[in-house]
Amino acid sequence: MLPRPPYALLVLAVLALAVPRPGQAQEVVTLRVASWANEKEFELETRILEAFMEQHDGVEIEFEAIPVGYPDKILTSFAAGTVPDVFLLDSPYIPRFVNRDLLLDLRPAADTLGLDLDAFFPSVRKVFEQDGALYALPKDFTPLVMYYNKRLFDAAGVPYPEAGWSWQEYLSISQRLTQDTDSDGTIDQFGTVFINQLYLWVPWIWMNGGDLFNPTGTSTLGFFNAPKTEEALQFLIDLRTRHGVAPQDVMVGNESSANVQGARGLFYSGRLATMPSGRWALIQMMPYIRSGEIDIGVAPLPTPEGGEHVTVLYAAGWCVPKTTKHRAWAVRLAAFLASEEAARIRARSPIGVPGLQAVAADQVAADSFGVEAVFVDEAAFGRQSWGTQVEAFTRVEDLTRDAVDEVVIGGRDLHEAFTDYAKQIDAMLLDEAALAGDVTVLEGNPEILGFLFLGVGLMLVFMAGTMLVAQRPGRRRLLTGYAFLAPSFGVLLVFILVPLVFSLYLSAHQWNVISASKPFVGLDNFRDLMGDRLFWKAFGNTALYTLHVPVSMALALLIAVLLNRNIRGVSLWRALFFLPSISSIVAVAMVWQWIYHPEFGLANYTLRLLGLSTLGWLTDPQTALIAVMIVNIWIGIGFQMVIFLAGLKSIPAAFYEAARVDGASAWQRFRHVTLPLLRPTTFFVLVTSVIGSFQVFTLIFVMTEGGPLHSTDVVVFHIYQNAYDYLKMGYASAIAWLLFLVILAITWIQFRFLGKRVSYG
Amino acid sequence: MSSQSSISARLGRLATYTVLGVLGATMLIPFLWMVSTSLMTDLEVYQFPPRLLPENPQWSNYEGALTQLPFGRYFLNTILVTLTAVLGQLVTCSMAAYAFARLDFKGRDALFALYLATMMIPTIVTLIPAFLIINAFGWMNTYWALFTPLLTSVWGIFLLRQFFQSLPRDYEDAARLDGASAWTIYWRIILPLSRPALATLAIFAFMNAWKDFLWPLIVTTDNDMRTVEVGISMFSSIYGTNWPYQMAAAVVVLLPILIVFFFTQKYVIEGISLTGLKG
Repeated sequence: MLPRPPYALLVLAVLALAVPRPGQAQEVVTLRVASWANEKEFELETRILEAFMEQHDGVEIEFEAIPVGYPDKILTSFAAGTVPDVFLLDSPYIPRFVNRDLLLDLRPAADTLGLDLDAFFPSVRKVFEQDGALYALPKDFTPLVMYYNKRLFDAAGVPYPEAGWSWQEYLSISQRLTQDTDSDGTIDQFGTVFINQLYLWVPWIWMNGGDLFNPTGTSTLGFFNAPKTEEALQFLIDLRTRHGVAPQDVMVGNESSANVQGARGLFYSGRLATMPSGRWALIQMMPYIRSGEIDIGVAPLPTPEGGEHVTVLYAAGWCVPKTTKHRAWAVRLAAFLASEEAARIRARSPIGVPGLQAVAADQVAADSFGVEAVFVDEAAFGRQSWGTQVEAFTRVEDLTRDAVDEVVIGGRDLHEAFTDYAKQIDAMLLDEAALAGDVTVLEGNPEILGFLFLGVGLMLVFMAGTMLVAQRPGRRRLLTGYAFLAPSFGVLLVFILVPLVFSLYLSAHQWNVISASKPFVGLDNFRDLMGDRLFWKAFGNTALYTLHVPVSMALALLIAVLLNRNIRGVSLWRALFFLPSISSIVAVAMVWQWIYHPEFGLANYTLRLLGLSTLGWLTDPQTALIAVMIVNIWIGIGFQMVIFLAGLKSIPAAFYEAARVDGASAWQRFRHVTLPLLRPTTFFVLVTSVIGSFQVFTLIFVMTEGGPLHSTDVVVFHIYQNAYDYLKMGYASAIAWLLFLVILAITWIQFRFLGKRVSYG
Repeated sequence: MSSQSSISARLGRLATYTVLGVLGATMLIPFLWMVSTSLMTDLEVYQFPPRLLPENPQWSNYEGALTQLPFGRYFLNTILVTLTAVLGQLVTCSMAAYAFARLDFKGRDALFALYLATMMIPTIVTLIPAFLIINAFGWMNTYWALFTPLLTSVWGIFLLRQFFQSLPRDYEDAARLDGASAWTIYWRIILPLSRPALATLAIFAFMNAWKDFLWPLIVTTDNDMRTVEVGISMFSSIYGTNWPYQMAAAVVVLLPILIVFFFTQKYVIEGISLTGLKG
């Protein structure tokens, strides 16, 4: 999931809303509303919806908060015919919906309801406008700004940045504020930070007179690799690599929230003087600003000499799908959610700048810390993100991030890298354009049910056929066997076998969840796969990743052997080693992410205590995969240990006694008695661990999202990205099938060459 | 001679405890770090050098974490799903395992190979179609969606089959001579003899269902239908991860599973031990 800059709040006068709709009194209408609200907003939004229900008898509202995987879920719900009646639209996802004509133009409805669209910030409203249509009513927005830590500025006697400050001033301020405060030879306070995320660096290009795309948003060659663009990124990269005023290790370009969080952590703890971000960063800081624990200011981004004052604007708004069954009510509800009444409820704990100018002005007036005004002032200089026009924007973000990473981490020549990636982006855009123009929404999915019936039918035919063919005594035995297998087979059929076949069907199609036409493409997906550089990278990483298995097994065996020596409190020890296996992987991955943090983590803290040099861990392509492997070992060791322990217990003591009588040493007993007799157990552990290793996903998903520089991109993550981020489910299924075949082959090899020796002589 | 061997035995013991102690500490430290972080303030988390312990334990983090989300409902959902999964697996796995271990019918081994082969199918392959099926059934946001895929486990079938194969055949042969049917033998002889193995399966089924993440995430959008695992993921968002709250929630999610394991680990170990896992 991208850390998606959030935004926005609302709007409008809603006179019409106060009037309950006549004639509807008896019939209860249930409306469904979705947003990516987290726990803080959930409460406020619920209150707003309750207010709407109070004003309108006969309307029930269900609120679905989807903080994770939001755009995928909404898109899928279109395909499934279960789309909410009103949902919050994030600006980068506009094209996906608008290009397919899925959203209602709210302008006519706004006129009918008497909404004053001019009450919104014009630049914010514009985000949701296309060809005269208005696809969402703004909720809130944020421009990108520069946060600064006033205390560090004061201590160094540096004046605070002000509107109109230049890049040169930004650099010299950063240099003055980069310090080795404890004189131990390492820099421990940085002037600024460079985070390699398109959503953070794109305005720097604009203000330098460059751009990412051609004006129609169809090509990047000659734009992404144009001198003005390259100059802007070179300036930002230099902050890190040339001037050393931005930390090297905090921020490598992967999406992991701990990294972004790491920059905030540096900022909170007074070790970072300036940090570019949006209004969303204030949410977490506000309590500490109020308590006086931190003292911060907000300034516009600096502008290059002779450059244009411009920033990027991210906004969120309420939209109504064309397919809603309650169009009139849905529009009213969207209008209410964007109304002043709703905005004032949200303003109690704002997450963005309200899209309504009046409410935003009040937010500034009520702010005694002077942090809100800049956000409102910057609205006038805000430009909408390319994400509002380019459908494949997620992929553009990924590719540009790779390009910058190759320069920053890989040391590649900037112009060369950008030219190379501009070509890659253009090729990808062409590819995607071939898919566009397809605007029908599929209701439900009849194909999958067809496959299901076919599967059940085949099973019945098979059973009947084998029973007919069988001789009389065998027939009865067959019937009994089938009866015992029926319950488990039913589950496997519905959830594994039919899906497996269906995914093969998917792999031969160009399958996009929300497009009605899903053309048959034969083996094209597999052919594309052969030339997919990132797939092979992921494949290589997955193979490397499997190397953790023998290490893990050796450690697990060591622990099992030690625990088998009649030591005290065996059950406690066992529980201790088993603890990680049973823990929530999400929680565990988060703890480790934190442990690995280059600045605040326990890992580097320990290395420093030992006088060793610190590592980048998850932020360094050299160590990231190993760091994840270590966590996997930590998690998996307990399960392996339990199985080994079971195997050890099953070795009859008589063998050891015999060996002892023969004068065998402890090592010899282990080598000649334990190991051979343990072989079936070892084989079981090996096979299951290797299969598990090839399917690693959750750890990668939570800890690194495949970064940095694709050094932890594994096959299943690559599949997930293609299926859910790029919506190429056909292609994703092709990769999945290839992975399946590879796992089968490896397992077969293991059985063939190791399994033979697994038997008690 | 004897004192020398007792010295070397003591040294061996010391080495054993040292190695176990070091490895054990590695297992434990992340958990201690989790608990410690759960008691810190949001800002303490970012101090440098890192704080190992909070200055004043913020027990209110637990209250905060638990009241911000409907954790009661999450736990109820998770318990319902988990119990159904455990019961389902006990029934379906033991039946299938009995067929594979004890019944003699044509195609049995081929079917068993088919079952085992399904273990090698990466979850990601079947995820999208399985979701489409649930959706086609109209089961989104229902308990059906959450537990039906968990009603059987090929791993569990494999485990029980290994165990059943290790059981002596004497009782069965005697029963068969008395004219007992396969059902009777399964119900009256095999199952009662297999309590440890069934306990093992139940515990693994419990833990896997409890920890399930990706599936419940995909088939639920309604906040009231979420499980605890998905619930804790709601603590992190782009607005900033509140580490102390997140860690507090993680501790709370972890506790039931730790307690269950602590009291049942004997069955886990003995169950596996009895099956011997002979391939």
